[in-house]
Amino acid sequence: MIPEFNYVRAQSLTEAQQQLSTDGARVCAGGSDLLGCLRDEVFDCSKVVSVTGLDELRGITRSRDGGVNIGALTTIAELAANSTVQELYPGLAQAAAEVASPQLRNQGTIGGNICQKPRCWYYRGEFECLRKGGDTCYAMAGENQYHCILGGYRCYIVHPSDTAPALLALNASVQIAGPRGERVVPIEDFHVAPRDDVQRETVLEDNEIVVAISIPQPASGLRSSYRKVRARGSWDFALAGVALALAFDADRVTGGRVVLSGAAPIPWRSREVENTIIGQRIDATLAREAADAAMSEAAALKNNGYKIPLFKGVIEEQLLAIASA
Amino acid sequence: MAHDRRDHDEKAADTSGISRRGFISRVGAGAAVVAVASKASAESAKPTETMQATELSRITLTVNGQQRQVLVEPRWTLSHVLREELGLTGTKVGCERGECGACTVLIDGKPRYSCMTLAVEAQDADIVTVEGLMDGEDLGPTQEAFVEKDAFQCGYCTSGQILAVEGMLGDNPNPSLDEIRIGVSGNLCRCGAYVHIFQAAQRAAELKQGVGGES
Amino acid sequence: MNDPKEALYYIDGVDVPETPPARDLDQEPWGETTVVGKPLPRVDGYERVSGTAVYPADMSLPRMLYGAILRCPHPNAVVRSVDTSAAAAMSGVHVVMSGFTPSSRALQAHRQLIESNLFNPHCRHEGETVAAVAADNPYRAQDALRAITVEYDVLPFVADERRALEPDAPQVREGGNQVSDTQQYQRGDIEQGFVEADVVLEEDYRCECEIHTPMELHGCVAQWDGDSLTLWESTQGVYNVQAQAAAALGVPLSKVRVVNRYMGGGFGSKLAAGKYTVIAALLAKEAARPVKLVLTREETLLAVGNRPPSNMHLKVGVKRDGTLTAIQFTGTGTGGSQQAGGTSLLDWIVRDLYVCPNVRTETTDIYINAGPARPFRAPGHPQCSWALEQMMDALAQAIDMDPVELRLRNIPTVSQGRNNIPYTTTGLRACLEEGARSFEWQQTKDAITTESDSHIRRGIGVASGLWVAGGGGPPSTAIVKIYADGSVNLNMGASDIGTGTKTVMAMVVAEELAIAPGDVQIEWADTGSTQYATGSGGSKTVPTESPAVRAAAIDVKAQLLELAAGEMEVDASLLSLADGKVVAGGDSPKEVEISALRSLRRRGSVTGIGYRGPNPSGKAVNPFVAQFCEVEVNTRTGEVNILRFLGAHDSGRVLNLLTYRNQVFGGITMGIGYGMTEQRVLDVDQTGKMANKNWHDYKLPTALDVPADMTCLPIDLNDTEANTTGAKGIGEPATIPTAPAVANAIYNATGVRVTGTPIDPTKLVSALAAARGED
Repeated sequence: MIPEFNYVRAQSLTEAQQQLSTDGARVCAGGSDLLGCLRDEVFDCSKVVSVTGLDELRGITRSRDGGVNIGALTTIAELAANSTVQELYPGLAQAAAEVASPQLRNQGTIGGNICQKPRCWYYRGEFECLRKGGDTCYAMAGENQYHCILGGYRCYIVHPSDTAPALLALNASVQIAGPRGERVVPIEDFHVAPRDDVQRETVLEDNEIVVAISIPQPASGLRSSYRKVRARGSWDFALAGVALALAFDADRVTGGRVVLSGAAPIPWRSREVENTIIGQRIDATLAREAADAAMSEAAALKNNGYKIPLFKGVIEEQLLAIASA
Repeated sequence: MAHDRRDHDEKAADTSGISRRGFISRVGAGAAVVAVASKASAESAKPTETMQATELSRITLTVNGQQRQVLVEPRWTLSHVLREELGLTGTKVGCERGECGACTVLIDGKPRYSCMTLAVEAQDADIVTVEGLMDGEDLGPTQEAFVEKDAFQCGYCTSGQILAVEGMLGDNPNPSLDEIRIGVSGNLCRCGAYVHIFQAAQRAAELKQGVGGES
Repeated sequence: MNDPKEALYYIDGVDVPETPPARDLDQEPWGETTVVGKPLPRVDGYERVSGTAVYPADMSLPRMLYGAILRCPHPNAVVRSVDTSAAAAMSGVHVVMSGFTPSSRALQAHRQLIESNLFNPHCRHEGETVAAVAADNPYRAQDALRAITVEYDVLPFVADERRALEPDAPQVREGGNQVSDTQQYQRGDIEQGFVEADVVLEEDYRCECEIHTPMELHGCVAQWDGDSLTLWESTQGVYNVQAQAAAALGVPLSKVRVVNRYMGGGFGSKLAAGKYTVIAALLAKEAARPVKLVLTREETLLAVGNRPPSNMHLKVGVKRDGTLTAIQFTGTGTGGSQQAGGTSLLDWIVRDLYVCPNVRTETTDIYINAGPARPFRAPGHPQCSWALEQMMDALAQAIDMDPVELRLRNIPTVSQGRNNIPYTTTGLRACLEEGARSFEWQQTKDAITTESDSHIRRGIGVASGLWVAGGGGPPSTAIVKIYADGSVNLNMGASDIGTGTKTVMAMVVAEELAIAPGDVQIEWADTGSTQYATGSGGSKTVPTESPAVRAAAIDVKAQLLELAAGEMEVDASLLSLADGKVVAGGDSPKEVEISALRSLRRRGSVTGIGYRGPNPSGKAVNPFVAQFCEVEVNTRTGEVNILRFLGAHDSGRVLNLLTYRNQVFGGITMGIGYGMTEQRVLDVDQTGKMANKNWHDYKLPTALDVPADMTCLPIDLNDTEANTTGAKGIGEPATIPTAPAVANAIYNATGVRVTGTPIDPTKLVSALAAARGED
């Protein structure tokens, strides 16, 4: 049962920002992550500022440069079913289709999905952990089977989003509205690693709102995919996932990005894989080499050592699959 | 059906043409978006809605085609209001955390978890609960299919399963088995009646299309 | 030894409770049936799909308040003080109670329910009750809980039974962490058995703790009318709850009425009253208003039962011809911080499933600081099956014999665990043979071995089992009433927990009275107005209740025909019922509508009573099972896709094929969860708290985790000795061998054996990598 809060339904973006400028205010878009956090008392909230009335933040539009612009309130289900997205960025459509459950895909928004709070069971549970202002990361020495093998530093969460890795692979950027106007942040710079700030997940200020995400026109020969390995078939976060957006010239990789989900506290760009495959023709040997390279810096905790062979396996599988697509 | 949808989307893209800041044109994310957008424009003059935590505020919900006025706190979820305030206990609560689907209702035709939806946020939507699938005292086709295929044991997840199927069939009247499995994958059934639920969803699709003597 | 099932499902201090002897009426086994056995939809399907079925959590009474319970967040702590003053002062809060308020202390101790106080001053597990409130709405009730301040002395804990017997482990209870002496069983000469073996294999196995989590939360509505209490409780057994609540409150049974119309699943966790039941009653008493108390999902994961984790070691000897020569089994488990059956029936399958003259078992129950176990769908059996059935698979390979064949070489006809008394029927051979044929075991095996070496590998697996109970037995009383117009009412105390009990019983009545099952009105599961019944658990509801119901129907029919015989002036022995009429056969056929019988109209109704007669003495009545499955394994990622499942079951006569099939598929689905996705995770090294007390992190299988291709193959042996309907239980056996069947199929696909549940990618991918020689 959720503790008390005041509620404001904003009629404009400006009003939403003003309302969010007071202490303890939280934005509510789809609300699925927010209500879960409030119910579990993960953080305090004195005021919920609903932006669901702001229909200008909804919908998927084609941008002039040939890419697309996705309003922040676009639901995950709309994203997964959108024919333009399916055609231009199949990896993003696949990632959206892998999110949570049908009901949550109908509710959750793309803006909310990239801003999700971590799913670490210590963070969500009754533990005063580092990320919540305590002095211990319980995952370090505790039950860390679902925690990170890359990028951990004092805190060992994994980033829960499926869409963010796909968006990062596609070189998307995030349009943010704030009191000083709009700013555009490449999604690569949007998420905050614990090394930089252990209590933040994104660069958003309290009174800033994600209004849209834009993806550039796909490069010539671009293929994209998203693959997620999970412990059960639905409503589960990635044990390991890989988002690929690779440009091919015939069978040679000419560029692109490889991003891992379930690996690190932020969507994790694997330059090791990119460096191994760019300019090359992907065959079984190269795929294996790239998969090994991806894990060269990985450090397992007590219970998540399986992630290393798992990532190797899924990277190898997906590189071979996209090369023959 | 996938083809039908794409056609529809593209048509929406050509004709709706809502533009924002003059530099992008809408390609459409489906009929629901267009409908919501037009509703919103009619409401644009509405004053800011503010509700105090400690007070009951009056809201209007459209449930099963009827407008229901109800006093709520802002934190009250739709499932709570449906069950405890409106007496629509066909909607069940299993986790109150958006994890089991027992509380699934249709919101503007889409299956959603009513335990993860604030009642106040559901004001402008059409809400359908399992009671709303009845035709008077007669079962609707999906409900009938669930009885015929014995697609439940204890029955506690059943309303949610039925609404998940109902929502899926609204989007996709001829789902494949894989589409059905995905369609009900947000609804747990601890008794483990999934296989019969798949069969019931197939049967419901038939019944809705008039196979088996029903319309 | 006594039958071990009694400890679980029967009443303390009484051998087997009895009903009066059955009346001496003809109760020959059915031959051909017209209703029984058919795949009929449920008589209460309409209520369950329309939203009109009222479950306890749906109840709403005038002036009703909402209760909530504050629980200890620590695995081991002493409650120093509870300050409820702020909560009590809140508007909309009506009652606040704790171990320091007087009302909660005025309770009788009840061994099964409350070990000391309702609010235990020493909380030995996370989730122990500390305080409770009643408020205007559930949100306010939670607000009140937040306003309560508790001072705890937090104590050291042990949350892993594998460490709890170490000398320096914190003591859960005075007297050490071993619950009682190690339980031992022995027959034959185990050492000699190993000497005679050609192959001896040894292996360790572990099953994680599984939690029932039925869809409907545990809870009740309590209302006092003067000194009489009515509880609408989500329970498997209204009479169990009545007895326990009355004992705890110190009132006569007649002052506690427990009603349970619809309930949303229990799986063993709702066989007894909970502390929440008594708390709701006390809150309602103190508020002088009805109280609805429904637990949260978190509470149900912490505090109302689980299937204990099990650590097992097996050593088995076999001859080249498949003869088992010796089985040695050692098991430990934990029921948490209470004496709760941490190793109940853990070794039964080893003792009884396969012919083996030399068997030794040892089981040790251990305390830890965790929530209590409760009976869970075939207590002990899925664990033991996980070990023994994987071992059988390994033995078959070691002697180069097909795993189905190895099992067929060791089919018992007597219950070795019960001093060799015979089973009424042993369908195990038929389950294996007919199951293998229907599954196309041999053809699939041949097809798989010739496949290419893609990283996606297919495999098949088999496992068999039996369930120690499943025969049912007395007591049970049922009443069937025929009204003046010929319509029929059935009155029985059993709960329908979703297995279709009401439907099956209506079919039994319909069979005897030649009416449609839907025409039988049913009163059930109400201590105030229905007959005594034991809880619906142990796969004994159908074999217990159906003979009583049949006897009642036969009784009422006999009385009706006697009335008719007088009016029709025909000997009663020539009369029968058909389509609402009494029909006289013989030379001068006559018929009379039942509603036209004057003597019946004068009486208003005829009432038949049926009792459950005793089981055959010197015989064991058990259901048997063999399950087969096919899987596809991604050897790069450890993902398992279960392609199909077949359950071949000897559960005696099938009374309703549709609900029977549903039980089989449901059991397989739950078994898939047990084997593949579910486990309780305790933060054993730091806080002892449960890390995954929600339904996202405690992973029940979803629609995408089970195959759509499931087959139910009933081996309908019609057990005429067992009881007068020939039925044995199906609920429990359906889930016993599922998980090891999958494990065996994964081994068949990959050559990798995973001996711990659940086999998710976190385990399998590492095992696969290790098998490839990677680190």
